[in-house]
Amino acid sequence: MAQAGKGRLNYRCPSCFMRDLDIDMFYDKEKDEYYCLRCQYTGKEADILKDNEQVRTKYKAMYQRYSEFDFE
Amino acid sequence: MERKKIVDDVFSKFNEIFGFYPESTGSYYMDADLTNYIKAAYPSVKCAIATCWEEGPKAYHTCNNSWYTLFDGGPWAPWIPSKQNTHAPAANKEDSGIVAIPHLSRDLIACYDGNGSNFGTHPQNVLRGMIYDTKTWEFPYLYNLIDQYRAQEKYNNGYAYNMMFVGPGWMNKMGRWEAPYELLLKSYSDGCKYYGDLKKEGKLIDMTMAEFADYYRTKKTYTEPECALWRDILYGSDKQIFWYTDPYMRAGVNMDQGGAIFDLRPYAAKLKWEVGIGTKHVQDASYPFLIQEKYRAGYFTHYAGEGTIRSAKICHNGEEVDLCLCRTKAQLSREGDTRILTLHPVEVEFCDLTVKLQTRIYFEEGTGTIRIAREILEMSNPDAEVEINEYMVACYGTTEYPEDMSGILLRCEGEEPEEIIYEYRCREKSAAGAKSVSAVIPAIGTKVSMEASKGAEGYIREGYAFSPMFTLGYKKKVSDKEVFETWLKLEKAD
Repeated sequence: MAQAGKGRLNYRCPSCFMRDLDIDMFYDKEKDEYYCLRCQYTGKEADILKDNEQVRTKYKAMYQRYSEFDFE
Repeated sequence: MERKKIVDDVFSKFNEIFGFYPESTGSYYMDADLTNYIKAAYPSVKCAIATCWEEGPKAYHTCNNSWYTLFDGGPWAPWIPSKQNTHAPAANKEDSGIVAIPHLSRDLIACYDGNGSNFGTHPQNVLRGMIYDTKTWEFPYLYNLIDQYRAQEKYNNGYAYNMMFVGPGWMNKMGRWEAPYELLLKSYSDGCKYYGDLKKEGKLIDMTMAEFADYYRTKKTYTEPECALWRDILYGSDKQIFWYTDPYMRAGVNMDQGGAIFDLRPYAAKLKWEVGIGTKHVQDASYPFLIQEKYRAGYFTHYAGEGTIRSAKICHNGEEVDLCLCRTKAQLSREGDTRILTLHPVEVEFCDLTVKLQTRIYFEEGTGTIRIAREILEMSNPDAEVEINEYMVACYGTTEYPEDMSGILLRCEGEEPEEIIYEYRCREKSAAGAKSVSAVIPAIGTKVSMEASKGAEGYIREGYAFSPMFTLGYKKKVSDKEVFETWLKLEKAD
């Protein structure tokens, strides 16, 4: 295969991101998939977008707008 | 020396172009030596970006160990650095002559618990953390973060600081991470607009760095602390913590762990800590901790040993409950020069006894002392007694890895003073009515001690190789309505 490159955007590895690691993935044209150099994650763009939504589930208050900041 | 040459180079270039020297400057980290040099050579400088809050080993780790900004342990809001150590605020004439500001205003829970670069007022922190709605591109978290900073004025004499400091390079036409250029642009535009709207509503005053330095010097005294009562605004946990900084210490208190001190930096030592090539610390600029619950565990450890934490155990008939397991909330008030963190009462349940207990933590301005009072409000059996074991498990370091504890001097000041010179032998000494228990840590020039109200037994404990900590503590039997007080003091070691 030819060398891998970057995709349209710099997708990071969702699996590494889950443990606080920012690792840009590389794109394999032949397989049409992104892969992580640091772990075993591979995925199509749609897989990454779906897995990134999974990443966000830890932010349970992500859509909430607060107006009070103490507990009185 | 290279750093000073760089300073001379850029300052002379600035002068060459503008015809004067700047009033403000900045770097990812400026150690005291560099700040002192800049102030002496270019007295016009009055403000500097001197560090970034908690951008230490966690940020290094996040960047696959390829981002060498190792500077934990500083203030999160502006301060006047001392001439000895940039992180440590000046107590008096040791004033470095500048007002320091952190690189960003960061989330005081999320940045401590996780990667700092995902949770700050740099709008692209929010994108980096994926904290936005992918369908609408809305990111209420950024505004919650700005607003929570604004809310701190309640605890800081009507003043709160917030800033967004970034360069145009972050609006890369190629996009960044998963975010296309349009989203990068939107994050900046919306972020700036929010500040602009606040200004129009009279809720914000914008200043240049130099203007801010002038304002800050008229507003703050040297010993006045910076306080932040902070809640989780992202994970939906209702977790609440308190941060306190003054020239003697930085301390973090976790209400989710019954008011345990989970982070403690002994600024009282004003540690000389030069950073850069040719010094002992080429990259590591962090101010050392005595307690750091992430790098040295906290209440929870695996299998053996103890983690660093300052908490208390309530004991009755062979049962023991650590207040770290009593989740609660707190309010902050002020009496004279003392800030008082009053925790909501918690209930401790034993097999045959329920104890209602309240914790108050007093930060006494200009003393380097934290007073902790535990009051028994109620007992299911009013004639019962419980033992309160006030303890501090500590060590020292700046990273996740243990340091050599050999030579730390532990002292228990009973009628016959007892000493342990640390040799990893798990020894313990105690004395009824001990005046104080203390540890002197030569490597960081720090003495930490505890004292207690009358009738308590003081103890000191050495650790071992698999638990490289020391413990200072006091135990006392208390009954209904009684208050047990202890004082934790930080000093520069002789």
